[in-house]
Amino acid sequence: MTSKIINMAERIKDAEDRFLESMFDSAPIADDGFSTAIVRKIRRRLWLRRLALPVAAMIGGAIAIKPLAGLVTAAVRLSSLLPQELLTATFSLVPQAPMIVLGAMLLAACLLGLRALDD
Amino acid sequence: MSKVADHQLVARAVSAQDTAAFGELVRRHQSQVRNFLRKLSGDIAAADDLSQDCFMHAWDKLQTFSGRGSFIGWLLKIAYTTFLQSKRKSKRYAEILDQVGHKMETEGQSYSVQSDEVTDLDKLLAVLDDDERAIMIMSYACGLSHREISDATSMPVGTVKSVIFRGKQKIRTSFDIKDHQHG
Repeated sequence: MTSKIINMAERIKDAEDRFLESMFDSAPIADDGFSTAIVRKIRRRLWLRRLALPVAAMIGGAIAIKPLAGLVTAAVRLSSLLPQELLTATFSLVPQAPMIVLGAMLLAACLLGLRALDD
Repeated sequence: MSKVADHQLVARAVSAQDTAAFGELVRRHQSQVRNFLRKLSGDIAAADDLSQDCFMHAWDKLQTFSGRGSFIGWLLKIAYTTFLQSKRKSKRYAEILDQVGHKMETEGQSYSVQSDEVTDLDKLLAVLDDDERAIMIMSYACGLSHREISDATSMPVGTVKSVIFRGKQKIRTSFDIKDHQHG
């Protein structure tokens, strides 16, 4: 009730208010491609955001592939230096190792799938 | 899509990242936002750049629109903030130029008309400070209620009313309004 009275009081305009309204009045501005330009800008930005992660991953992968290959070779060489008994002992102590690796891979695939669905 | 309410378009744009729905909102309100910023800054080209920034900010913040007030009120709040930020930036730029020995041409001016033709409205707006100008434009050009202006400027309703009163008084003392009142 009080807000209605306040709104009504606001609507009661004197001659000065009407004069100011006429002074401030201006013709509507034609769109002339303004909204299209905004939408185009937003779409471009959305595309850039979607592309940013895969592109960064590809670039990172390309940069990392050579040192990664070196690391794998070094690991293989290092494992050949280790006594065979130690390696077999590790696998026998952690029998779930292949399951853990498989589970981690499945989790990563699910997360990627969810992200793709989100997009 | 032209008959869909603003609130529904906002919901569509937020939930489905629907750029077409947001495009319709821009089409509906671009004239008021651009008019507001043109009157506020006095510079058509700068106002249109600011309007673009305003709509880009609006897209980024769309999920914060609660739907309590009108969408145009919410947009004008962003437009006013964008204007103030740009003004602060150019002030800092002027200070840096000043430090290295350059002077900005517009230094010290609160409102400068960048057009060849100075209208009665330009003269009228020139006597007001930024807050008064923004509030008077929101009230008399955009037709916002005192409550909507209060939301847009983050000022209490009482302050909005007193700023309008002060603005009117300034205009009255600077121009002979009484002649127009009855004529």
